[in-house]
Amino acid sequence: MSEAGSILGIGFNDPFTVGLIGLAFMFVLVLSGVRVVFAASITGLLGLVELLGWGPAAGIIGTIPHSKSSTYALSVLPMFIFIGFLAFHAGITQQLFNAARKWLAWLPGGLAVATVMATAGFGAVSGASTATAAVFSRVAIPEMLKNGYDRKLAAGVVAAGGTLASLIPPSAILVIYAIIVEESVGALLLAGFLPGFVSALIYGGIIVLWALYRPKEAPAMEASTWPERFKSLPGVSPIILVVAIIMSSIYYGWATPTEAGALGATVVFLLALFKGTRTKTIVQALMESAKLTAMIFSLIWGVLIFVRFLGFSGLPEAFTTWITNLDAPPIVIMICILLAYAILGMFMDAIGMLLLTLPVVYPAVMALGYDSIWFGIIVVKMAEVCLITPPIGLNCFVVNGVRPDIPLSDIFRGVGLFFIADVVTIALLLMFPEIVTWLPELMRG
Amino acid sequence: MNDSTVKSNSGFIVTLDRLATPIENIANFLAGLAIFILMFMGAAQVILRTVFNTPIAGYIDLVQLAMASMAFLGAAYCQRLNAHIRMELFVGTLKGRALWAFEIFATLAALFIIAVLILYGWDHFVRSYDSGDTTIDAEYIVWPSKLLVPVAFALWFFRLTIQLVGSINMFINPEREPVGIAKIQHVSEVASDEIKETFGTDMPDEGGIKS
Repeated sequence: MSEAGSILGIGFNDPFTVGLIGLAFMFVLVLSGVRVVFAASITGLLGLVELLGWGPAAGIIGTIPHSKSSTYALSVLPMFIFIGFLAFHAGITQQLFNAARKWLAWLPGGLAVATVMATAGFGAVSGASTATAAVFSRVAIPEMLKNGYDRKLAAGVVAAGGTLASLIPPSAILVIYAIIVEESVGALLLAGFLPGFVSALIYGGIIVLWALYRPKEAPAMEASTWPERFKSLPGVSPIILVVAIIMSSIYYGWATPTEAGALGATVVFLLALFKGTRTKTIVQALMESAKLTAMIFSLIWGVLIFVRFLGFSGLPEAFTTWITNLDAPPIVIMICILLAYAILGMFMDAIGMLLLTLPVVYPAVMALGYDSIWFGIIVVKMAEVCLITPPIGLNCFVVNGVRPDIPLSDIFRGVGLFFIADVVTIALLLMFPEIVTWLPELMRG
Repeated sequence: MNDSTVKSNSGFIVTLDRLATPIENIANFLAGLAIFILMFMGAAQVILRTVFNTPIAGYIDLVQLAMASMAFLGAAYCQRLNAHIRMELFVGTLKGRALWAFEIFATLAALFIIAVLILYGWDHFVRSYDSGDTTIDAEYIVWPSKLLVPVAFALWFFRLTIQLVGSINMFINPEREPVGIAKIQHVSEVASDEIKETFGTDMPDEGGIKS
């Protein structure tokens, strides 16, 4: 390796030093506005050239885009993405919100609690946080305002509720995590279900407490009768069908995640057709799906080129050794890692952040003795929190985009309550990892 | 792209842009079509296997070969619409020549790596073509799938070239009407794109949106 070293004239033959320089170089590229896929793959190429020489390095990276993209496990991503773009057109949102309202409006802050449960239900069909926030900005905010809700609360609950979609299957970001760390896609998807549900419950709980403390901001509503409640249920049956398909196929193994995703997408597609969605809209959803798929796959192979270089450099091992030799209990190190993610997430896109950091952070976390599925759920939850924190909390901007009459500052203030709820959820997941690991372990027997 | 206000040599960029756009659209549509077919094939596979006990032969091989079309054909389209993730925190604050200098640098970096990937992705294809390698299970030929990498990346390279010329054009005179460049978007613009993508052209009046 040392003979090939120094090709770029940097003069460092020590792979670890090259790895460290590479890491810094990549972050400089990302900061100067180079797209993540290019920053990662350029760094990967130059690093490999320094360690192996031009021929072998370019030869290796020339094969990576095709070989890494052509894996069966990844084929679930376009399915989930397409479901996400079709979900709104399947016309289930209004029924979902109505049903949630009929069952939950009697609670203090009941309409906001109903919104949380409806976003969670929509998240069980769509894996897209921003889309969920956009849809419920239109469906739920007007209802809440009409009933005298404080607009900060109304906007906050929708922005925060949107984030639930990323934990509750189908979730694209959980699939990406699984691919990068080579975990079972099915196990990750299954693991997200309960934490997503717990997150929703905690959101609901904190709304009830807030409504008791400030009843004027979330006025009480009349309870629906039991017949009314049951009458609202048939409208949500398509969602139950999609959830049943995806969860049961993964749990019992009667279909692969891709097949389950395909079956779920077919159901949602047929619903959209039944609702009279025009061909133009379907084509548009396909174009958007193809675009997002290209974006995500580019990120994946770009980062995997970088990972190949990291592997040669030995940097992840060195970082792992350093972390495990720290004179601090693993829980303290974990909290520090999570804080670092919280800060990084304020400035970076969720998927980009995960892909760029996991290659180095993940092996260290495993060496500390944490469960890989558990860590996946935790980091995805962290990445989702960043969708509602200033300055670039995208979900808040989405709510503001649909409801320009609610100022951004109000929306950011409104999500404050749910930020606290998220901190509680993360603390719970830290204290009781079983919330995450129970379902996947049950599946594995 | 407002042609009438352009007082520079941007006519050339507009021509290139008009040449590339329909090809990118078709390529991205083909990727979308592949997703659509994969959906039906997956659903059919489950039903055929579980209900009729006759799975589609070589299904997994077929999916793996089709992945390349979904992964790569939309890349240039994605570039045109500025959808590849980047961090705009710092660059977004820049204006005028400084901004365009950074854009030129970022685009040159992209051109470099895509050029390398086209060349060596082509080699990867040629090896596969010469050896006639096939998938393990159903023994489908692999090279058409591998050919998609240099082809789709050539399209991507072309789009990046247009953006490079556009950025240089702006660097020379920042007062010009921006043509053929990927504009840096503020989060609020990203958000409004997300909203449009969610609702598409169907805007049923579900909740009395005020706009």
